[in-house]
Amino acid sequence: MNGKSVLIIEDDKWLAEQHARVLSKAGYKTIIALHAISAIQLIDDDLPDVIVLDVLLTGSTAFALLHELQSYGDTGVIPIILCTSLASDLSLDKLKDYGVKKIIDKTTMIPSDLAAAVKGVL
Amino acid sequence: MSATKGEHDNLLCGPFSDGLPSLIAAAHELKSPLALVRQLSLMLEDDSNCADEQKRILRQITLTSERALRLTNDLTKSVRLADAMFTLEPINPKQLCEDIVSELTPLFSAHDRKLKLISRKHSTLLVANRDLLRRIIINFSDNALYYTEDNNTVEINIGALKSGNIIRLGVRDYGPALSIDTFKKLRGKLSNSPTAIHARPQSSGLGLFIASQFADAMNGKIGMTRHRDGATFYVDLQASRQLSLL
Repeated sequence: MNGKSVLIIEDDKWLAEQHARVLSKAGYKTIIALHAISAIQLIDDDLPDVIVLDVLLTGSTAFALLHELQSYGDTGVIPIILCTSLASDLSLDKLKDYGVKKIIDKTTMIPSDLAAAVKGVL
Repeated sequence: MSATKGEHDNLLCGPFSDGLPSLIAAAHELKSPLALVRQLSLMLEDDSNCADEQKRILRQITLTSERALRLTNDLTKSVRLADAMFTLEPINPKQLCEDIVSELTPLFSAHDRKLKLISRKHSTLLVANRDLLRRIIINFSDNALYYTEDNNTVEINIGALKSGNIIRLGVRDYGPALSIDTFKKLRGKLSNSPTAIHARPQSSGLGLFIASQFADAMNGKIGMTRHRDGATFYVDLQASRQLSLL
């Protein structure tokens, strides 16, 4: 383990577990939140080093969560990786102000892309 | 296989209230299970998985594929709905729902959730097309599966309204509560049924849109109720008058 923690916010439980498996094998500590509300609670309890965030979430969109995170000094600096099937519709330039460092396309990624992205933003 | 221009128009310019062509909505909805199957398959290629893990991943691939296939089957049926003749017949809703619970229990168990039926011992028969009604309830259940917290139970309820003239089949989930704004938006859309109905803000609502079309074909309607800890999506159908004719 390298001691770094990654919060995975993904409403498909099996995909979230899949991400967690990949990142655990790469030495990261992982926590899963299936929706934005539980994500906020988990971030409140313990700030993660990186957040992997799906865009289409239960209860609210990732953008509402990004706004929330940017409202606080400590959460606003957490690097965020968007992992989404809408990657082709999003622009990293426009999302940089929200702490988004990378966008991964769920439909074309290979498992090692996620670990590489996390490593890249730390 | 050939398709008429009308069929193509339906596919490309479906009547979604958010302006999304139905083909795009369908493609979007299918991306999610396909992306998951792909990730799981790639994981299987990794030799470091133990036998139990491989077995679990294979099971998840099977169940996710089945979910995607249900959606494509419903979509096909939905597009051809206008041209098809559907037999309406007296149906025992309890028996139909018991069959659905039995069919979906493996999927719910794999997600650490339960599905159960709440019904009187002898529920009134209703008038419906068995296949369409089955698809509606499976659709609602599939929706509820993804919006219910771990280790919770999704409930299928059968009840009677309007002195027993209407039979309501509802699927209750226990997930994050809908905001008042979202609820009002949903209710507004439901009152103008058939229209696109979004299960939750992030959904394209394709499954529920199809369910509303199926309900309409049986002279029924679908709706929803907001709870503090989730929602109920329901379909109302005419009770069978078979007994009164005896």
